[in-house]
Amino acid sequence: MSDNNKIKDTVVAGVKSMKKSNLPLRIYMETCIKCGTCAEVCPVYYGSNEKSLNPPVRSDLLRKLYKKHCTVSGKIFGGLAGAEDFREEDIDTWVKEFYECTGCRRCAVYCPMNIDNSVLTRKGRAILQQAGKTPPHLIKVMEVSLKTGNTDNAPPIALIEAAKFMEEEMEETTGVPVKIPIDKVGADIFLVPPSGDVLVNPDSMMGIAKVFHVMGADWTLSSRAFDGANYGLFTGDDKIMKEDNKLYVEEAKRLKVKTLMMGECGHAHRIMKFMMEKQRWWGDLPFSITNILQYTAYHIQRGHIKFDRSLVPEPVTYHDPCNFGRSCNIVEEPRVIMRAACENFIEMTPNRQYNWCCGGGGGLSAMDSIRDFRMNISGKKKVEQVTSIGAKYVAAPCSNCKRQFLQLIDYHNLDMDAGGLHDLVNRSILLEPVGHLLKDRAREFELNGYC
Amino acid sequence: MNILSSLIFHILPYLTIIVFLAGMIYRFYVWAKLPSPIITLFPRPNNGLFWGVIKETFLFPGLFKSDRFFWAGAWIFHLMLAFIALGHFRVFTDFPWLWNALGMDKAEVDQMSALSGGIAGLVIMAVVLFLIFRRIGIQRVREISAFPDYLIMLLILAIIITGNAMRFATHFDLELTRNYFTALFTIRAAEIPQNSLFLLHFLFAQLLIILIPFSKILHLGGVFFSQTILKRS
Repeated sequence: MSDNNKIKDTVVAGVKSMKKSNLPLRIYMETCIKCGTCAEVCPVYYGSNEKSLNPPVRSDLLRKLYKKHCTVSGKIFGGLAGAEDFREEDIDTWVKEFYECTGCRRCAVYCPMNIDNSVLTRKGRAILQQAGKTPPHLIKVMEVSLKTGNTDNAPPIALIEAAKFMEEEMEETTGVPVKIPIDKVGADIFLVPPSGDVLVNPDSMMGIAKVFHVMGADWTLSSRAFDGANYGLFTGDDKIMKEDNKLYVEEAKRLKVKTLMMGECGHAHRIMKFMMEKQRWWGDLPFSITNILQYTAYHIQRGHIKFDRSLVPEPVTYHDPCNFGRSCNIVEEPRVIMRAACENFIEMTPNRQYNWCCGGGGGLSAMDSIRDFRMNISGKKKVEQVTSIGAKYVAAPCSNCKRQFLQLIDYHNLDMDAGGLHDLVNRSILLEPVGHLLKDRAREFELNGYC
Repeated sequence: MNILSSLIFHILPYLTIIVFLAGMIYRFYVWAKLPSPIITLFPRPNNGLFWGVIKETFLFPGLFKSDRFFWAGAWIFHLMLAFIALGHFRVFTDFPWLWNALGMDKAEVDQMSALSGGIAGLVIMAVVLFLIFRRIGIQRVREISAFPDYLIMLLILAIIITGNAMRFATHFDLELTRNYFTALFTIRAAEIPQNSLFLLHFLFAQLLIILIPFSKILHLGGVFFSQTILKRS
């Protein structure tokens, strides 16, 4: 009983803090006109029109309490004004419903008020975190990440071994000694991939290594910081998000690099570029922040990197990860790469920032406890999209999207494959080094701190 | 009855104005003071923040892309509201300089106002009925609708019906009503027009205006704040 009271106190205190914390949290409580537009564009509600999946119903979990505790009308008119107090049994509804939003921000693109429900989802989850109600698996991932610097609980030796394996693999298949440098102090570029791209799906990492080889880039990985993933974004815990981020900034400083280059991981790039750098978590930075998609596209457009497109003949499509598209505006670069590396690139409609979420966003992809929900509901629209265009490969530069796609393909027996973007580059890039020919211009990108 | 009607038509109008202005100014002040983290959403407007907000506020492109019928309903509704609000200025005062400039005499002005006001009144009634039926008829909208949503729609409908009834079903004495408002504006004891349709119309309108700072109609003005959040970078 006292435990439940504590939960209620925490929840109510969390909602009350919204009144004074920042503009979005407060104004999103006060101006939703309940027009139903968000429901129409929401991938989750598309998957199943259960009332609890309607975005404003989820946001109203917060709004009802806000009205009850923070508004005059709610205090006087109660339920008539939409106010409702928290009941102990509501906590389970909270956990379920706040972890059924993928945080894809598609609603915000169409909402006439520009209400971003993902902000409210994240706040709901932050309150759950304070109440000790974050799903156990995500807690574990955060703990592992803080302890080891990556979400896979891998020691430095794992990366070193993986890199060695990839170097051998590349030399064996191409006859060219493509290197994957590790912990090189003074390199120009510090690459931060998602750990899955090094440990589980090495194709993407090999593609990137080949791009750097062609460009003659001076780059490095770090054996203690090789996973941009940061679950503090998903669980709403700002403190953990910053703590998790700190290692990467320190490592970039220690390695004295000019550029911190994020890999194929949307939320990691968003945190580095649009949160850490923009909000100046760690003050002035002695390096610029960019992304491998921008780097590769930049050099393709200048004719530095060549491909034998016939090596990727099957129809391939590109899935815009929500964080890259709607949150980071990286939408044209991946298409430059797709067109250069593949023979048959087809677009899904809608695409770019209007793209539908894969159904695994916001950390959902890592939660096997809701696998059925992801397969049948949140991923329903995406399955329809990729099957309707007849793609045989879906490129998604995001570990969460990839996991969701691979599970969707398996679950629905789809005749296609999914993976990263540089996986395709890995298959068709020509290893003709141009770096030495372009001594000055080749480094233009890093030195300008493009983006 | 006399005390009651005096409360509603002599006292309440001032309260309405005070509550509305104080409420809105308080909201705007609080919103302007709150910190706003940069959480840019793409695509950003391609002609800058200012025009991006203006475009979305006046044209509703998001609705246009997602639901054409609803867009039409919502857009015409707001357009007619603005139009009708403008037309109501004539009830409060006259604009002889404007009619002179346009070369219109009183009969022509009356005729123009009867025609345009009449059309606007009928159109907005149809649109509000459509919006009410949409709220009730479409599952995804019905399940997020609660008492305040219906209250506001019904209040607006009541205002429109009484307004239209005044125009089409009875004789409306413009001079008398204008004198009443002039007296209100100059804080003199005003003679209350003995027209029950007008009195209902005016009462409902006052209730709606009082509701604005406390309800979702806060998007009047709030829309500029909320849109700026994601369009900034």
